[in-house]
Amino acid sequence: MDDKVVITGSGLVSSLGSSASDTWEALVSGKHGINALEDFDARGFDCRAAALAQSPDPSELGIHPRDARTMDKHSHMLMKCSQDAFKNSGLDKAPVPAEDIGFFAGMGMFDCNTEDLLTAVKKSLDPQGNMDYDAFFSGAYQEIYPLWPLSMLNNISFCQVAINLDIKGENTVFSAHADSGAQAIAEAVATLIDKKASTVLAGGVSEKVSPLSLARAHLHGILNTSDTDGLAVCRPFGADRKGTVLGEGCGILSLELRSSADRRAAAYSAMITGYGSSCEIEEASYTPTSKAMSGSMSSAIAGTGLKPTDIDVIIANGDGTINSDKNETDAINAVFSECVDKIIIFSSKGALGHLLAGAPAVDVILGIYMLEHGIIPATLNCVPLDKEVKFNVVSKEPLKAHPKRIMINSFSYEGQCSSLIIEAVE
Amino acid sequence: MSKEKLERRVVITGYGMISPLGKNTGETFANARNGASGIDYLTAFDTRGLPCQIGGQVKNEWLKDLEDSTLDRFDKFSSRGLKLMRIATMEAARQARLDEIQERERIGVSLGSHGANPTVEDMMFVHRFYDGKGNWDMKGLLKEGGYPYLNFFRRKPDAAMFLLALLFNCKGSNLSIVSACAAGTQAVGEAGRTIRAGKSDVMIAGGCEADLDLVGFVGFVLIRALSEKYTTPQTASRPFDRKRNGFVMSEGAGAVILEELEHARSRGVPILGELRGYGDSADAFRITDTHPKGEGAILAMRAALDDASLTPDDIEYINAHGTSTQQNDLTETRAIKQVFGERAKQIPVSSNKSMLGHTIGAAGAIECILTLAGINSSVILPTINHEFRDPRCDLDYVPNEAREKEHAIAISNSFGFGGQNACLCVSRFEE
Repeated sequence: MDDKVVITGSGLVSSLGSSASDTWEALVSGKHGINALEDFDARGFDCRAAALAQSPDPSELGIHPRDARTMDKHSHMLMKCSQDAFKNSGLDKAPVPAEDIGFFAGMGMFDCNTEDLLTAVKKSLDPQGNMDYDAFFSGAYQEIYPLWPLSMLNNISFCQVAINLDIKGENTVFSAHADSGAQAIAEAVATLIDKKASTVLAGGVSEKVSPLSLARAHLHGILNTSDTDGLAVCRPFGADRKGTVLGEGCGILSLELRSSADRRAAAYSAMITGYGSSCEIEEASYTPTSKAMSGSMSSAIAGTGLKPTDIDVIIANGDGTINSDKNETDAINAVFSECVDKIIIFSSKGALGHLLAGAPAVDVILGIYMLEHGIIPATLNCVPLDKEVKFNVVSKEPLKAHPKRIMINSFSYEGQCSSLIIEAVE
Repeated sequence: MSKEKLERRVVITGYGMISPLGKNTGETFANARNGASGIDYLTAFDTRGLPCQIGGQVKNEWLKDLEDSTLDRFDKFSSRGLKLMRIATMEAARQARLDEIQERERIGVSLGSHGANPTVEDMMFVHRFYDGKGNWDMKGLLKEGGYPYLNFFRRKPDAAMFLLALLFNCKGSNLSIVSACAAGTQAVGEAGRTIRAGKSDVMIAGGCEADLDLVGFVGFVLIRALSEKYTTPQTASRPFDRKRNGFVMSEGAGAVILEELEHARSRGVPILGELRGYGDSADAFRITDTHPKGEGAILAMRAALDDASLTPDDIEYINAHGTSTQQNDLTETRAIKQVFGERAKQIPVSSNKSMLGHTIGAAGAIECILTLAGINSSVILPTINHEFRDPRCDLDYVPNEAREKEHAIAISNSFGFGGQNACLCVSRFEE
């Protein structure tokens, strides 16, 4: 009954590297992955920067070229991280029956690549530039690659991973908001505790940064479009924060009950012990209310039988937007009022940008490194801090600390808040 | 595990739907009981030139009440799929008296929904600002062009869940699930788990789909999944029939209100059934094909039975996925035989898709409700268009006519494109 869910492996791709250790080392040495956009001409955008990840090479991942054509960068990142988590938890060497392996992932938005449809649309335009449906249906639509629809189905890249790793157990794809990766991890934990799977891969992947994803985030009002020197900066909890910056990346965890990991002699250093969620939106700003954020943190703490003083570090949602950071500041100040000067805060978004559905699992993996190494990296660009901040945001230099418990916050712009708690295994 | 389960049983206290066969559950069920088909030639867009020109449309007049009554502010956010979902949820919420529940933090939403497709107008709009060589005029698109943000918003898979949570004032655990044809079933199953695990007491669960627009439809034409050989639209969807040749695409929505038993009792709300178990699996076979022996389907059905602490002998009816494709109906038949052994031929198996077509993300929720409605009225809905026997599909498919038969426990299957399989086990409520 008291069996805990431990983390036996992980895979991480981000703008700072194609592995968890690369990303961690870069973070500790104060690097960031946010750069001017070069993949496409971004001159027309008000925000011309993002934290792009390097796409893993599909041929190295064993993806058939036919499949690669309908998979995109996010699919390749998901495949790489899942394979890495699978391998470094030893699942490739000490196999678990396929039907006992579960898989839960949060997936970002899939945008269609305009090129995929461009010829068909152009062929169907009449001289005035309007769509001629007769031309479209009588032939132009056949210009579209027949398997193109696969690239538009949100679950296909997930299923490609299941095929690649021979995963046949419990599975669900959550979409598309920033907390879906946390929901995937919470469902994975519940599945293991219910003994409906003996090992589960869980995590999330960001959307691919594209003209459409930038336009969407811009119109949503979350992007930093005020930095005029062309390179936008994300300033979590900063007094002069102006908005977030999009990032690409993926994080996948391999989870297992401690007893089962011990039987397989799989190594682990951390376990997932708590989860809480709450939902309420501030309609004027499209951010969760501070009440919902407090609710998610408090329910994670109470559900684990802990007190706020038991939490040493919070990896905050800290997205650098004016409203979300304000509400999160209020929520942390309130929930942790008795220990607010002691609680240590880190946000990865100053360095990695906002990975949306990919953020929660990536932050969990960074949390494991903090537990193992006793170091909290600096939150980039957070100085000068907002004057409402009463907690200790690590800035400038990495901080030496010996955290035992870390809370990871993930909030979506749809009002949904999730908080996970991870804990070092003695 | 079963001990914890006994502590928190999940019952159904409301359901609602809108489908090609009716604007609510009662109408859909009555028409399905008569073996009516909801399939016809499509009128939503011009289909000339396409190899498939049929589908199951929801009548626009059924949306009129909602469109007339709602505040403009929500109307502009609502894709057609979301409007259908709202109609289905209103019916379910009324029945379950959702309004009277005080603790809104304990109510969540779990939806299978894929977001609206980009429209042709959308594509034209966007293409005007793209030169085809990688160069975008984004200023033009966003400023002078005035591309509406809401077009992006409606495309987000979580838009429906978010607005439903807002409209029905649900502040608990919200999930949005995108597993293609299995999404509705997974949404109901995951919602049940959320209640069992104590994360919430009440969940709105279901799914919606409105893909009968040009882009959505052409996608399915391209992968050649749709029926292209039919004499009349009404006979095109023919699950388990030898002449089946693809599925028929439909739109619709289904919503159930799941509630923890003691919570429902304390409110004195009528209990319409019980969610006994849920199982899911992945084929891990091939992206465009199901496993020929139905391995994933077998795993999902067994997992659902196991979750319900039942054996195959307890199941009295199977609501099949039965899409009317050669592949699905054969592998599903094989999987049922594998799970139920010698008894397989004695269990009635029927496919609602013979009458409703395939409502993709909504199918799991709609079929779960029809299964419950069948249990509650002792009727097993038929598989219509069953004319030519397929020697390999040799189960009791309840051909063409509904059957009056008392039954208490059933399973409902959904198998998603890509290889995600899900199965729900539902029953009459007994103390």
